[in-house]
Amino acid sequence: MKVRQQLVQFLNLAYVLSSAFMVWKALSVVTNSHSPIVVVLSGSMEPAFQRGDILFLWNRDQQAHVGDIVVYEIQGKSIPIVHRVLREHHNNEKQLLLTKGDNNAVDDLGLYAKKQGYLNQATDLVGTVKGYLPKVGYVTILLTENIYFRYGILGIMGISSLLTQE
Amino acid sequence: MCSHGCSNTNSKISHHLCSKTSFLPHRLDQFFIHVSNSMYNLVTRLQTVSNQALSATAVVSGIIIVLTLIQLVISNVWSIDTTSIQNIKPSASIRNSFNYGSVNRKPKENSKLSFDLDADLSPLFNWNTKQVFVYLTAEYPGKSSGSSNKVTYWDKIIKSKDEAKLHLANQKSKYSVWDVEKSFRGRDAILKLEWNIQPHVGPLIFGETTTTGTFTFADPPKKS
Repeated sequence: MKVRQQLVQFLNLAYVLSSAFMVWKALSVVTNSHSPIVVVLSGSMEPAFQRGDILFLWNRDQQAHVGDIVVYEIQGKSIPIVHRVLREHHNNEKQLLLTKGDNNAVDDLGLYAKKQGYLNQATDLVGTVKGYLPKVGYVTILLTENIYFRYGILGIMGISSLLTQE
Repeated sequence: MCSHGCSNTNSKISHHLCSKTSFLPHRLDQFFIHVSNSMYNLVTRLQTVSNQALSATAVVSGIIIVLTLIQLVISNVWSIDTTSIQNIKPSASIRNSFNYGSVNRKPKENSKLSFDLDADLSPLFNWNTKQVFVYLTAEYPGKSSGSSNKVTYWDKIIKSKDEAKLHLANQKSKYSVWDVEKSFRGRDAILKLEWNIQPHVGPLIFGETTTTGTFTFADPPKKS
């Protein structure tokens, strides 16, 4: 009896986790971006975006436009950067972009890989920012950067799952 | 555990049976049942509250977005015609630094501008405008067919309606512009003043003013 209950509980948990995962992956497919919703971590786009703001990305545009705010990843660096497109140069094959943070004094040449002068629109972009929700993402920053908060939440969840019977 | 029985006050038997658990627990397993029930309630309540908060946020954001868009359409922001771009003076120089587009110290042509600009962007400000980013772009053709380029010469963050009236005379460009090619002198470019509204909540909104200016990229000064 006890075992059956535990199994049902485990199944429920697995169901919740897998449906969340499915929603996330479905969003990825629809937006064509490996992370369609991101949380801002730095202040280089202030006052437009502050730490903890949530951005909704879209990666199905054929071309980026000057003035677009894009999220890009540099090969070999794991942290994605959200900055504005300062210049674009394109021909029929590809598009090159130079970006800059609104709050930065200079363009992003110093952030790119060594000797890299431009971003490639087709390969370097994670997505273009389409929508904005302030502050809500601060929970995830707390979870990753504040160990007391993280272990507090984990502890509460652990205790509750142990003691929950029905 | 026996909320059904206890809530039914008419049934004396069930009330009697339940009275032990609903007050102070006498045995350890009863204590655990008591704790687990309250914990279960706590988790369920948290879940309900967070679900409701999420739906409320979604509904309120939706209403705000629709109202903002209607207001922008009514104030006709996509055809602001109070702009003038005049007195455009292009200049050019040769640079050898990586920060000015040079690769391996090879000479690279750089372009700058000075210009006069008048614009009234106050219609872009409403109750859901956090900031307006305004930028002066130049669009020009590339060498091969099908190629095109667009670069920014000047931009500004406008945080309030009071700063939204721009009167710039002999303004120097903020950026020194280079091309993917070594040189782009002699090509014709079209200047436009474009804007981006950053809302407090909702989609980023883009547009441009109707006025344009034209200029030809200058030749760099010849070495004597």
